Amino acid sequence: MWNMFRGKQSSREVAKGRLHLVLAHDRVGLEGGKLQEMRREIAAVISKYVPIDVDAVEVQIESKSRATELRVSSPLPARGSG
Amino acid sequence: MGRAIVITSGKGGVGKTTTTCNLGAAIAQLGMSVVLIDADIGLRNLDVVMGLENRIVYHVVDVVQGKCTAQKALIKDRRLENLWLLPASQTDDKDAVTPDDMRKLIAELKASYDYVLIDCPAGIEQGFKNAIAGADEAVVVATPEVSSIRDADRVVGLLAAKDIPTRLIVNRISAHLVKKGDMLSQSDVIEILALELLGAVPLDEHVVASTNKGMPAVLEGKSAAAREFARIGKRLVGLDVEAVHETGGGFFARIGRALGFSSANAA
Repeated sequence: MWNMFRGKQSSREVAKGRLHLVLAHDRVGLEGGKLQEMRREIAAVISKYVPIDVDAVEVQIESKSRATELRVSSPLPARGSG
Repeated sequence: MGRAIVITSGKGGVGKTTTTCNLGAAIAQLGMSVVLIDADIGLRNLDVVMGLENRIVYHVVDVVQGKCTAQKALIKDRRLENLWLLPASQTDDKDAVTPDDMRKLIAELKASYDYVLIDCPAGIEQGFKNAIAGADEAVVVATPEVSSIRDADRVVGLLAAKDIPTRLIVNRISAHLVKKGDMLSQSDVIEILALELLGAVPLDEHVVASTNKGMPAVLEGKSAAAREFARIGKRLVGLDVEAVHETGGGFFARIGRALGFSSANAA
Protein backbone atom coordinates (compact mmCIF):
# COMPACT_ATOMS: atom_id res chain seq x y z
CA MET A 1 0.00 0.00 0.00
CA TRP A 2 2.95 2.38 0.42
CA ASN A 3 3.55 1.93 -3.29
CA MET A 4 1.59 5.08 -3.89
CA PHE A 5 3.99 7.01 -1.65
CA ARG A 6 7.04 5.49 -3.21
CA GLY A 7 7.70 8.52 -5.35
CA LYS A 8 8.26 10.62 -2.25
CA GLN A 9 10.22 8.04 -0.28
CA SER A 10 13.99 7.99 -0.18
CA SER A 11 15.62 4.75 -1.34
CA ARG A 12 16.74 4.33 2.26
CA GLU A 13 13.12 4.23 3.46
CA VAL A 14 12.13 1.91 0.63
CA ALA A 15 14.96 -0.47 1.58
CA LYS A 16 13.85 -0.41 5.20
CA GLY A 17 10.25 -1.20 4.36
CA ARG A 18 11.23 -4.01 2.00
CA LEU A 19 13.59 -5.53 4.55
CA HIS A 20 10.98 -5.50 7.31
CA LEU A 21 8.62 -7.49 5.08
CA VAL A 22 11.21 -9.91 3.70
CA LEU A 23 12.73 -10.66 7.10
CA ALA A 24 9.34 -11.23 8.70
CA HIS A 25 8.70 -13.99 6.15
CA ASP A 26 12.27 -15.34 6.32
CA ARG A 27 12.12 -15.62 10.10
CA VAL A 28 8.98 -17.73 10.02
CA GLY A 29 10.21 -19.82 7.10
CA LEU A 30 6.83 -19.71 5.34
CA GLU A 31 7.11 -19.48 1.58
CA GLY A 32 4.45 -17.55 -0.37
CA GLY A 33 2.52 -20.66 -1.44
CA LYS A 34 2.24 -22.03 2.09
CA LEU A 35 1.07 -18.65 3.35
CA GLN A 36 -1.76 -18.56 0.78
CA GLU A 37 -2.74 -22.11 1.70
CA MET A 38 -2.90 -21.10 5.36
CA ARG A 39 -4.95 -18.03 4.44
CA ARG A 40 -7.51 -20.17 2.63
CA GLU A 41 -7.80 -22.60 5.53
CA ILE A 42 -8.19 -19.83 8.11
CA ALA A 43 -10.86 -18.20 5.92
CA ALA A 44 -12.68 -21.56 5.67
CA VAL A 45 -12.67 -21.95 9.47
CA ILE A 46 -14.01 -18.42 10.04
CA SER A 47 -16.75 -18.96 7.46
CA LYS A 48 -17.94 -22.03 9.40
CA TYR A 49 -19.00 -19.66 12.19
CA VAL A 50 -19.70 -16.34 10.49
CA PRO A 51 -20.78 -15.72 6.91
CA ILE A 52 -17.84 -13.85 5.40
CA ASP A 53 -16.34 -13.08 2.03
CA VAL A 54 -13.48 -15.61 2.11
CA ASP A 55 -11.50 -13.64 -0.49
CA ALA A 56 -11.42 -10.60 1.80
CA VAL A 57 -9.49 -12.46 4.53
CA GLU A 58 -5.91 -11.21 4.73
CA VAL A 59 -2.94 -12.68 6.55
CA GLN A 60 0.17 -10.65 7.25
CA ILE A 61 3.42 -11.50 8.94
CA GLU A 62 5.07 -8.61 10.76
CA SER A 63 8.34 -8.40 12.61
CA LYS A 64 9.26 -5.95 15.28
CA SER A 65 12.59 -6.34 17.02
CA ARG A 66 13.09 -10.13 16.92
CA ALA A 67 9.46 -10.97 17.66
CA THR A 68 7.28 -11.93 14.73
CA GLU A 69 3.51 -11.94 14.69
CA LEU A 70 0.80 -13.23 12.39
CA ARG A 71 -2.10 -10.90 11.74
CA VAL A 72 -5.33 -12.15 10.27
CA SER A 73 -7.93 -9.62 9.28
CA SER A 74 -11.39 -10.26 7.94
CA PRO A 75 -14.35 -7.93 7.50
CA LEU A 76 -17.29 -9.34 9.49
CA PRO A 77 -20.87 -8.71 8.40
CA ALA A 78 -23.24 -6.93 10.80
CA ARG A 79 -25.74 -9.26 12.42
CA GLY A 80 -28.73 -9.83 10.16
CA SER A 81 -27.12 -8.27 7.12
CA GLY A 82 -25.65 -11.53 5.84
CA MET B 1 41.61 -18.91 29.60
CA GLY B 2 41.10 -17.06 26.34
CA ARG B 3 37.97 -16.13 24.46
CA ALA B 4 36.93 -17.28 20.98
CA ILE B 5 35.02 -14.91 18.72
CA VAL B 6 33.72 -15.86 15.28
CA ILE B 7 33.44 -13.15 12.62
CA THR B 8 30.58 -14.07 10.31
CA SER B 9 28.07 -12.53 7.88
CA GLY B 10 26.18 -15.03 5.73
CA LYS B 11 26.85 -13.06 2.56
CA GLY B 12 30.31 -13.00 1.01
CA GLY B 13 32.24 -9.87 0.18
CA VAL B 14 31.04 -7.69 3.05
CA GLY B 15 34.43 -7.47 4.77
CA LYS B 16 34.66 -10.41 7.18
CA THR B 17 38.30 -11.10 6.42
CA THR B 18 39.31 -7.44 6.53
CA THR B 19 37.44 -7.08 9.81
CA THR B 20 39.11 -10.18 11.30
CA CYS B 21 42.54 -8.92 10.22
CA ASN B 22 42.05 -5.45 11.67
CA LEU B 23 40.37 -6.50 14.91
CA GLY B 24 43.16 -9.02 15.46
CA ALA B 25 45.80 -6.34 14.93
CA ALA B 26 43.87 -3.86 17.08
CA ILE B 27 43.61 -6.29 20.02
CA ALA B 28 47.27 -7.30 19.67
CA GLN B 29 48.20 -3.59 19.80
CA LEU B 30 46.47 -3.46 23.20
CA GLY B 31 49.04 -5.98 24.41
CA MET B 32 46.88 -9.10 24.41
CA SER B 33 47.80 -12.27 22.54
CA VAL B 34 45.64 -13.10 19.53
CA VAL B 35 45.38 -16.07 17.16
CA LEU B 36 43.46 -15.61 13.92
CA ILE B 37 42.04 -18.76 12.36
CA ASP B 38 41.08 -18.81 8.70
CA ALA B 39 38.10 -21.22 8.73
CA ASP B 40 37.46 -20.91 5.00
CA ILE B 41 38.88 -24.33 4.07
CA GLY B 42 39.69 -24.54 0.37
CA LEU B 43 39.43 -20.77 -0.23
CA ARG B 44 42.02 -19.26 2.05
CA ASN B 45 42.32 -15.49 2.09
CA LEU B 46 43.18 -14.22 5.54
CA ASP B 47 46.88 -14.96 4.87
CA VAL B 48 46.98 -12.71 1.82
CA VAL B 49 44.97 -9.92 3.46
CA MET B 50 47.42 -10.09 6.41
CA GLY B 51 50.43 -10.13 4.08
CA LEU B 52 51.63 -13.47 5.48
CA GLU B 53 51.03 -15.61 2.37
CA ASN B 54 54.72 -16.35 1.79
CA ARG B 55 55.30 -17.84 5.19
CA ILE B 56 52.78 -20.68 5.26
CA VAL B 57 54.18 -24.14 5.97
CA TYR B 58 51.33 -25.93 7.74
CA HIS B 59 47.63 -25.17 7.91
CA VAL B 60 44.52 -25.92 9.95
CA VAL B 61 43.79 -29.25 8.18
CA ASP B 62 47.34 -30.46 8.97
CA VAL B 63 46.64 -29.65 12.62
CA VAL B 64 43.30 -31.46 12.86
CA GLN B 65 44.75 -34.46 11.00
CA GLY B 66 47.58 -34.61 13.52
CA LYS B 67 50.34 -33.91 10.98
CA CYS B 68 51.70 -31.15 13.19
CA THR B 69 50.89 -29.36 16.44
CA ALA B 70 48.84 -26.15 16.47
CA GLN B 71 51.88 -24.28 17.80
CA LYS B 72 53.95 -25.40 14.84
CA ALA B 73 51.34 -24.32 12.28
CA LEU B 74 50.95 -20.82 13.71
CA ILE B 75 52.62 -18.02 11.74
CA LYS B 76 53.86 -15.17 13.89
CA ASP B 77 53.16 -11.70 12.57
CA ARG B 78 56.52 -9.89 12.69
CA ARG B 79 54.94 -6.44 12.86
CA LEU B 80 53.23 -7.13 16.17
CA GLU B 81 54.48 -8.87 19.26
CA ASN B 82 51.29 -10.81 20.04
CA LEU B 83 49.64 -11.77 16.77
CA TRP B 84 49.53 -15.21 15.09
CA LEU B 85 47.73 -16.70 12.10
CA LEU B 86 46.53 -20.25 11.57
CA PRO B 87 45.91 -20.40 7.81
CA ALA B 88 43.29 -22.47 5.98
CA SER B 89 44.39 -25.06 3.46
CA GLN B 90 43.90 -24.19 -0.19
CA THR B 91 43.34 -27.68 -1.59
CA ASP B 92 41.24 -29.63 0.91
CA ASP B 93 37.51 -30.11 0.88
CA LYS B 94 35.56 -28.24 3.55
CA ASP B 95 34.54 -31.62 4.96
CA ALA B 96 38.17 -32.21 5.95
CA VAL B 97 37.31 -30.51 9.26
CA THR B 98 34.39 -31.26 11.60
CA PRO B 99 32.77 -29.08 14.28
CA ASP B 100 34.33 -31.37 16.90
CA ASP B 101 37.80 -30.82 15.42
CA MET B 102 37.27 -27.07 15.67
CA ARG B 103 36.01 -27.26 19.27
CA LYS B 104 39.11 -29.22 20.29
CA LEU B 105 41.52 -26.94 18.42
CA ILE B 106 39.99 -23.75 19.80
CA ALA B 107 39.93 -25.07 23.36
CA GLU B 108 43.65 -25.85 23.00
CA LEU B 109 44.44 -22.36 21.65
CA LYS B 110 42.34 -20.64 24.32
CA ALA B 111 44.52 -22.24 26.96
CA SER B 112 47.57 -20.30 25.70
CA TYR B 113 46.20 -17.16 24.01
CA ASP B 114 43.91 -14.35 25.16
CA TYR B 115 41.80 -14.17 22.01
CA VAL B 116 41.03 -16.53 19.15
CA LEU B 117 39.30 -14.81 16.22
CA ILE B 118 37.72 -17.13 13.68
CA ASP B 119 37.22 -15.85 10.12
CA CYS B 120 34.06 -17.64 8.97
CA PRO B 121 33.45 -18.58 5.32
CA ALA B 122 30.42 -17.15 3.49
CA GLY B 123 27.26 -19.25 3.46
CA ILE B 124 25.48 -21.24 6.15
CA GLU B 125 26.63 -24.76 5.30
CA GLN B 126 29.37 -27.00 6.70
CA GLY B 127 32.07 -24.32 6.74
CA PHE B 128 29.82 -22.04 8.77
CA LYS B 129 28.95 -24.83 11.21
CA ASN B 130 32.66 -25.56 11.68
CA ALA B 131 33.52 -21.91 12.20
CA ILE B 132 30.91 -21.27 14.90
CA ALA B 133 31.42 -24.62 16.69
CA GLY B 134 34.03 -23.46 19.20
CA ALA B 135 33.00 -19.82 19.47
CA ASP B 136 32.07 -18.16 22.77
CA GLU B 137 30.55 -15.23 20.95
CA ALA B 138 29.92 -13.95 17.44
CA VAL B 139 30.37 -10.72 15.55
CA VAL B 140 28.10 -10.34 12.53
CA VAL B 141 29.43 -8.03 9.82
CA ALA B 142 26.81 -6.44 7.57
CA THR B 143 27.01 -3.71 4.97
CA PRO B 144 24.01 -1.34 4.77
CA GLU B 145 22.51 -3.18 1.79
CA VAL B 146 19.34 -5.27 1.56
CA SER B 147 21.13 -8.48 0.47
CA SER B 148 23.73 -8.31 3.22
CA ILE B 149 21.16 -7.54 5.92
CA ARG B 150 18.86 -10.33 4.79
CA ASP B 151 21.68 -12.88 4.96
CA ALA B 152 22.93 -11.46 8.26
CA ASP B 153 19.46 -12.00 9.70
CA ARG B 154 19.55 -15.70 8.75
CA VAL B 155 22.92 -16.06 10.45
CA VAL B 156 21.68 -14.22 13.56
CA GLY B 157 18.84 -16.74 13.81
CA LEU B 158 21.25 -19.69 13.49
CA LEU B 159 23.59 -18.24 16.13
CA ALA B 160 20.65 -17.61 18.50
CA ALA B 161 19.59 -21.25 18.07
CA LYS B 162 23.08 -22.24 19.29
CA ASP B 163 22.92 -19.74 22.18
CA ILE B 164 25.93 -17.84 20.90
CA PRO B 165 25.79 -14.17 22.02
CA THR B 166 26.02 -11.95 18.95
CA ARG B 167 26.92 -8.34 18.28
CA LEU B 168 26.95 -6.28 15.08
CA ILE B 169 29.47 -4.37 12.99
CA VAL B 170 28.06 -2.25 10.19
CA ASN B 171 30.76 -2.04 7.54
CA ARG B 172 31.35 0.38 4.65
CA ILE B 173 28.84 2.99 5.69
CA SER B 174 28.91 6.29 3.85
CA ALA B 175 27.77 9.30 5.86
CA HIS B 176 27.26 11.16 2.59
CA LEU B 177 24.87 8.54 1.15
CA VAL B 178 22.99 8.16 4.44
CA LYS B 179 22.47 11.93 4.49
CA LYS B 180 21.21 11.90 0.91
CA GLY B 181 18.66 9.26 1.89
CA ASP B 182 20.31 6.67 -0.35
CA MET B 183 21.79 4.36 2.26
CA LEU B 184 20.46 2.68 5.37
CA SER B 185 21.90 4.31 8.48
CA GLN B 186 23.52 2.36 11.28
CA SER B 187 20.40 2.88 13.42
CA ASP B 188 18.25 1.49 10.58
CA VAL B 189 20.42 -1.65 10.51
CA ILE B 190 20.32 -2.00 14.30
CA GLU B 191 16.55 -1.60 14.29
CA ILE B 192 16.08 -4.21 11.56
CA LEU B 193 18.50 -6.81 12.95
CA ALA B 194 17.79 -6.05 16.64
CA LEU B 195 21.42 -6.52 17.66
CA GLU B 196 23.79 -4.60 19.88
CA LEU B 197 26.16 -2.46 17.79
CA LEU B 198 29.90 -2.82 18.30
CA GLY B 199 30.75 -0.20 15.73
CA ALA B 200 30.12 1.26 12.30
CA VAL B 201 33.12 1.31 9.96
CA PRO B 202 33.04 4.05 7.34
CA LEU B 203 33.58 3.33 3.65
CA ASP B 204 37.26 4.25 3.36
CA GLU B 205 39.63 4.02 0.39
CA HIS B 206 42.56 3.56 2.76
CA VAL B 207 41.31 0.04 3.47
CA VAL B 208 41.60 -0.84 -0.23
CA ALA B 209 45.20 0.37 -0.30
CA SER B 210 46.08 -1.43 2.94
CA THR B 211 44.67 -4.70 1.63
CA ASN B 212 46.65 -4.27 -1.60
CA LYS B 213 49.81 -4.11 0.47
CA GLY B 214 48.87 -6.87 2.91
CA MET B 215 48.99 -4.49 5.83
CA PRO B 216 46.24 -4.24 8.45
CA ALA B 217 44.77 -0.70 8.15
CA VAL B 218 45.05 -0.21 11.92
CA LEU B 219 48.86 -0.51 11.64
CA GLU B 220 49.00 2.12 8.91
CA GLY B 221 47.79 5.06 10.88
CA LYS B 222 44.82 7.20 11.31
CA SER B 223 42.35 6.61 8.50
CA ALA B 224 38.70 6.81 9.58
CA ALA B 225 38.18 3.06 9.15
CA ALA B 226 41.40 2.27 11.07
CA ARG B 227 40.28 4.45 13.98
CA GLU B 228 36.92 2.69 14.10
CA PHE B 229 38.49 -0.78 13.93
CA ALA B 230 40.78 0.19 16.81
CA ARG B 231 37.80 1.39 18.80
CA ILE B 232 35.85 -1.81 18.10
CA GLY B 233 38.87 -3.84 19.21
CA LYS B 234 38.75 -2.03 22.55
CA ARG B 235 35.04 -2.66 22.94
CA LEU B 236 35.52 -6.34 22.08
CA VAL B 237 38.00 -6.83 24.89
CA GLY B 238 35.66 -5.06 27.28
CA LEU B 239 37.38 -1.70 27.56
CA ASP B 240 34.99 1.12 28.21
CA VAL B 241 35.02 3.28 25.12
CA GLU B 242 32.75 6.09 24.08
CA ALA B 243 29.38 5.12 22.62
CA VAL B 244 29.03 4.99 18.86
CA HIS B 245 28.00 8.20 17.11
CA GLU B 246 25.39 8.19 14.43
CA THR B 247 26.93 8.50 10.97
CA GLY B 248 25.79 11.57 9.11
CA GLY B 249 25.53 13.67 12.22
CA GLY B 250 28.82 15.55 12.04
CA PHE B 251 29.94 18.50 14.06
CA PHE B 252 28.08 21.09 11.99
CA ALA B 253 24.93 18.99 11.86
CA ARG B 254 24.95 18.79 15.65
CA ILE B 255 25.50 22.55 15.96
CA GLY B 256 22.67 23.05 13.47
CA ARG B 257 20.34 20.89 15.52
CA ALA B 258 21.32 22.66 18.70
CA LEU B 259 20.42 25.96 17.05
CA GLY B 260 17.09 24.60 15.91
CA PHE B 261 17.78 23.97 12.21
CA SER B 262 16.45 20.55 11.42
CA SER B 263 17.40 18.68 8.30
CA ALA B 264 14.79 16.68 6.42
CA ASN B 265 17.32 13.88 6.10
CA ALA B 266 18.46 13.85 9.70
CA ALA B 267 18.70 10.34 11.08
